[in-house]
Amino acid sequence: MNTKSPYQIKIGKILSVKQMTSMEKMFEIALPGEDLSHAPGQFVEVSLLGIGEAPLSVSSSPTKQGSFELVVRKVGKLTGALHKLKAGDEVGIRGPFGQGFPVRILEGNDLLFVAGGLGIVPLRSLINFVIGNRKNFGKVDILLGCRNPKEMLFHEELAGWKERLDVNFNCTVDKADPDWKGNVGLITSLIPGVTLDSERTFAVVVGPPIMYKFVIMKLLDKNIPERQILISLERHMKCGLGKCGHCQIGNTYCCQDGPVFTYEKVKAIGGAI
Amino acid sequence: MNKPKVSFFDFACCEGCQLQIANMGELLLDVLGAIDVVEFREVMSEKWVGEFDVVFVEGSITTPQAIEHIKRLRARTKTLVAYGSCAAIGGVNGMKNNYKLEDIRKSVYGKDANFFPTVETKAIHQVVKVDYVIPGCPVYLPEVVAVLKAFLAGLPRPVPDNAVCVECKLNENICLYERGVACLGPITRAGCNSWCINHGNICYGCRGLVSNPNTKGAKDILEKYSLSVDLIANKMNMYNKCGENDNRE
Amino acid sequence: MQYNLLNKNQLNDLISFLAREQKVVAPVAQGLNNYAFTEIKNGIQATLNYIPTTLPPKKYFMPQRETLATYDTTQGQNMDPVVEHEKVALFGVHTCDLAGIQCLNMVFSEKPKDQNYLARKNAITIIGYECNAYCDRFASCRLVHNHTPNGGYDLFMTNLGDKFILHVNTPAGEKIIERSHLFSLAAKADLAALERLRQKKREIFEKNEIPIEHEKIPELFDKSYQSKVWADLDKRCVACGNCTNVCPSCYCFDVIDEPNLDLTTGRRYRQWDSCQNETFAKVAGGENFRKERGARQRHRYYRKFRFPIEKFSRFFCTGCGRCSRACMAKIDLKETLVSLIKEQGMENPNAGRQSTIAEKPATF
Ligand SMILES: Cc1cc2nc3c(=O)[nH]c(=O)nc-3n(C[C@H](O)[C@H](O)[C@H](O)COP(=O)(O)OP(=O)(O)OC[C@H]3O[C@@H](n4cnc5c(N)ncnc54)[C@H](O)[C@@H]3O)c2cc1C
Ligand code: SF4
Ligand code: FES
Repeated sequence: MNTKSPYQIKIGKILSVKQMTSMEKMFEIALPGEDLSHAPGQFVEVSLLGIGEAPLSVSSSPTKQGSFELVVRKVGKLTGALHKLKAGDEVGIRGPFGQGFPVRILEGNDLLFVAGGLGIVPLRSLINFVIGNRKNFGKVDILLGCRNPKEMLFHEELAGWKERLDVNFNCTVDKADPDWKGNVGLITSLIPGVTLDSERTFAVVVGPPIMYKFVIMKLLDKNIPERQILISLERHMKCGLGKCGHCQIGNTYCCQDGPVFTYEKVKAIGGAI
Repeated sequence: MNKPKVSFFDFACCEGCQLQIANMGELLLDVLGAIDVVEFREVMSEKWVGEFDVVFVEGSITTPQAIEHIKRLRARTKTLVAYGSCAAIGGVNGMKNNYKLEDIRKSVYGKDANFFPTVETKAIHQVVKVDYVIPGCPVYLPEVVAVLKAFLAGLPRPVPDNAVCVECKLNENICLYERGVACLGPITRAGCNSWCINHGNICYGCRGLVSNPNTKGAKDILEKYSLSVDLIANKMNMYNKCGENDNRE
Repeated sequence: MQYNLLNKNQLNDLISFLAREQKVVAPVAQGLNNYAFTEIKNGIQATLNYIPTTLPPKKYFMPQRETLATYDTTQGQNMDPVVEHEKVALFGVHTCDLAGIQCLNMVFSEKPKDQNYLARKNAITIIGYECNAYCDRFASCRLVHNHTPNGGYDLFMTNLGDKFILHVNTPAGEKIIERSHLFSLAAKADLAALERLRQKKREIFEKNEIPIEHEKIPELFDKSYQSKVWADLDKRCVACGNCTNVCPSCYCFDVIDEPNLDLTTGRRYRQWDSCQNETFAKVAGGENFRKERGARQRHRYYRKFRFPIEKFSRFFCTGCGRCSRACMAKIDLKETLVSLIKEQGMENPNAGRQSTIAEKPATF
């Protein structure tokens, strides 16, 4: 029977590997002869045969041609094995999967990005897309938080965003070290200081599960409507095809219906955050 | 690539797990193609003096000498595998911990007791760091091979954390509770492909408890089937006494 | 030609005929009132008078363990997708299990399609078998309208006492009738006998087993998310996963790689998984989104009675009663529903009565 298995992988060639922190590495990957053609916020299933598969967010902007970037935190079997790879090695790629950020809807509006920890990885895809098409968007604020300065990712890029006059950038760490000159405190502490027009602001929030509740409370305090708060949910995923059930929250399959949802939708699902 | 140097050692145990491995049959040839066994008392007389890549340890720690020995082994090997229930969870040797050490010593060695120092039974991980665990009394060979492959590939391989029932149902066995027999499957870790139940036995819990067992719920089940709670407590005790030390930490 | 007759003493011949062309599986007694779909070579081995088998026929549509691909990494990440399927005739499938297969069909035909499932489904011939009375007290097929056939088979057999009457539903079923030369056309009197039997069934399955109207169930679940009933299940459930493994409409799975000892070749396979298992929803960082057993139980019930309504316009509970039979903690689906109904004050002791009348009789 001539069938196309949804489990078939494409070969991805690793072009470069960069150590970012003690836990994270960035991989630049090319699919020979094609672009990944992802939307910001989408993810791919990365596989190493004999080891397994894991969902990983695409961190580069779709405006980047010829290759894409993943940032991988070493936490277990597959991510540990990925960390041992070097330029020239191959990985298997399935996807892109899921609903990314609704770029069309965001156009013409003000954007408030809130990234906690690894949340900056998928958010970076959208931020760089917005910066690459800057005139299509209104005011842009970026708030970034992480546990300590050592865990901060994309130093050079962050510096670039900070320099820009058309982007307001602010960051904080939960715990400072002697070299840290910036804010200390939870990311929620940065939100009250942002001036925004709640009518035309979309807040895009990505971070660890516990962060959402508190950040969203602050955003609602700012009168941002629930349907203008976008979040990306992390769930255990296996198939990416809306079948295996691991990623299910209430009635929704995070891998196909998400990972990006409006807070309005998330609230209706129940048990999501 | 050099084949990893592998050795097998035993502490307090019945050596049944070694026997399992020695009698691996056809699989053994494949396994021997991948590793280099340098010391294995059950099957060979050679002794290895250098470092090991991996040491398989059977049995639990019950004497001060054993504590020193396992520490020395740990220092000589890159990887340590605790295999068999005695090594992995303390196993039946743990029943010793139901009694006062002095009493035990006297009843076993009588008037010579003073020549035989003893300590509370411990699983290997309660004394030194363990990299891989293969519970089971005896070990289930496909799992030994799975762990070996994980080791060769440099991958972690945690013991499954779902119930034996999961595998038992996949094998479509008749549930022992329907026969009116108490079985520890619902709270014991899977990974043995419900080996015992497939062969008409009950699950004795030799693989240790799941990480979050509903022990109260399990007791209620026994009551519903009019089975004695003591009965299952004894069965649990048989293999899992040492686990109490993990909870204390 | 929609209805055909088979003589009782020719059942064996039918099985032999089917077995010539494919593997035939049918319910076989295992002792202690347990049954299992098992390969048979002749009709004597099969038991037509059975209560739902330990595992439902889903094991032929999505086997417990199923290879998705084999690989050889000596030249890089090369994998060959595998679609395993063989010709199978499923003999003697109850209406509840037909419904379960229909549920799975919907799930796996939905985009992105699951080619492995669909290839297997296309190779399976289904011969249904009517229950003329309740299997046991665990069944609730009336509640979900699965006590009578609603399609999903090639042939459907009803036991008329001295003979079987078979409804032909597909060209594949038609072919069996034609090529086996075992059947004769049903006469008016046979159809009347079938109608009498169905009438009698209407009396047996007179009203819903649970005091609630079919249509009210989604509302019940809308109100019950915070119910105390889930806390009770939390105390009792030991998370053994039996309920989901035996469920004809549960299809969650895990994907696992299994290398050979050479570490370069091996296979990627899927294996049944369960939302009741501790690790099912756990993610890196240790967060477990359904940590409590009660929350996992609730998830299971909602996946049967609430979530599929929007997506597939049907209940995924088929009323087979397997989860209640298989639960050592005696968590009983019917009891759970009754507790929820009482809690919401939605009891309707006559539920189901009127809709019985509205039901279509067998079409002639
Ligand atoms: C949509 C999405 C996007 C993600 N993006 C990124 C990213 O850009 N960078 C990154 O470093 N990580 C990301 N993750 C998390 C990443 O998928 C997990 O860390 C990875 O699957 C762990 O695999 P492992 O084999 O290394 O771990 P394992 O050895 O399998 O397990 C280690 C831990 O990870 C958990 N885990 C296992 N499988 C999954 C899974 N499929 N999903 C979530 N947790 C799992 C286990 O429960 C366990 O606690 C993302 C997850 C999702 C769902
Ligand atoms: S069968 Fe019973 S005990 Fe087992 S997971 Fe299901 S509800 Fe819990
Ligand atoms: S990852 Fe399998 S259903 Fe979403």
